Amino acid sequence: MALINVAKREIQCKIVYYGTGFCGKTTNLQYIHSHAPRPARGDLLSIATESERTLFFDFLPLDLGQVHGFRVRFALYTVPGQVLYERTRVAVLNGVDGIVFVADSSPEKLEENFQNLLELEMNMRRMGRDLGSFPFIMQWNKRDLPGAVPIPTLDRYLNRRRAPAFAASALTGEGVFPTLRAICKAVMGSL
Amino acid sequence: MEQLTNLVVSEGELANIARVLGRLALDTSASYTILLDKSGQLIASQGQQGQRDLTALGALMAGAFSSSRQVAEILGEHDFRSILQQGVQENILSNLIGEQWLLVVVFDQQTHVGLVKVLARKSGEELERVLDRVRHGASEARQQVVNVQFRSDAASAIDSLFQD
Repeated sequence: MALINVAKREIQCKIVYYGTGFCGKTTNLQYIHSHAPRPARGDLLSIATESERTLFFDFLPLDLGQVHGFRVRFALYTVPGQVLYERTRVAVLNGVDGIVFVADSSPEKLEENFQNLLELEMNMRRMGRDLGSFPFIMQWNKRDLPGAVPIPTLDRYLNRRRAPAFAASALTGEGVFPTLRAICKAVMGSL
Repeated sequence: MEQLTNLVVSEGELANIARVLGRLALDTSASYTILLDKSGQLIASQGQQGQRDLTALGALMAGAFSSSRQVAEILGEHDFRSILQQGVQENILSNLIGEQWLLVVVFDQQTHVGLVKVLARKSGEELERVLDRVRHGASEARQQVVNVQFRSDAASAIDSLFQD
């Protein structure tokens, strides 16, 4: 839920990167954190296990600066991807304004991507939201992997809603900022 | 529960919120009081928060509250509205306001927890009335701020700032 604070002349929006374990959600935020210009980016906060897997969420505040006298801020979150953390994902989705679904392009992850997407749709429905009429972007990550599932196949099985989709390799940064720009604009468009 | 699309807090209502938070901090001798949206976004704060990063604190407090609510649901507790976190030096009380906001009171060992609970509940009732008014005025106020030109200029700023 975007918060428009007229008194403080500030607009705050929440964006969540969703997807299976090890699909590259945290890597997206790390790349943004290390490459976004300094005045725009805040500190990256991670709650991870000892093996560096996300336990609760990662959090990165971004500041777009002044637009028509209002300071526009985006709060980027990731969810923990592992199956057992479903309830934690529900907690992080609270009040979300836009979602990036990060799909792992490895062939062995296709079914897991599919199940994760179904879970997301169900969680959004429980919050009274339909992904079809919500700021929602797909990212086909790990395109650099040998044997990556072809994009038309991913599109056919995972993108029934024909959401805008971006090929990416979050490790090298390819596709990371196009994805970020698309979700930020979609969120602004839905205010 | 259906979530709101936007929430617009006017100058008048922010002043009302600041007054309630300020009085609660004063009456309980709390270190500081914060009002968050349950998505983790900071609405207002009062008191001596010093150099603390309230943006990160807000995200963590809202996350902790949402997470505890999920725990409560698994345990079959369906009306879970409050958390008390007790530390060696400081305690934190978080109360849900009308399914939308979180009132957070940070206080030290000099303050009695019972007093904080009672007065936070009373402040919560006042804040719930503010929230009702904010909900009803949201659509009209939003149209005054966000128009086609605003969206277009925001898109330009996004393009120029978020690049490789």
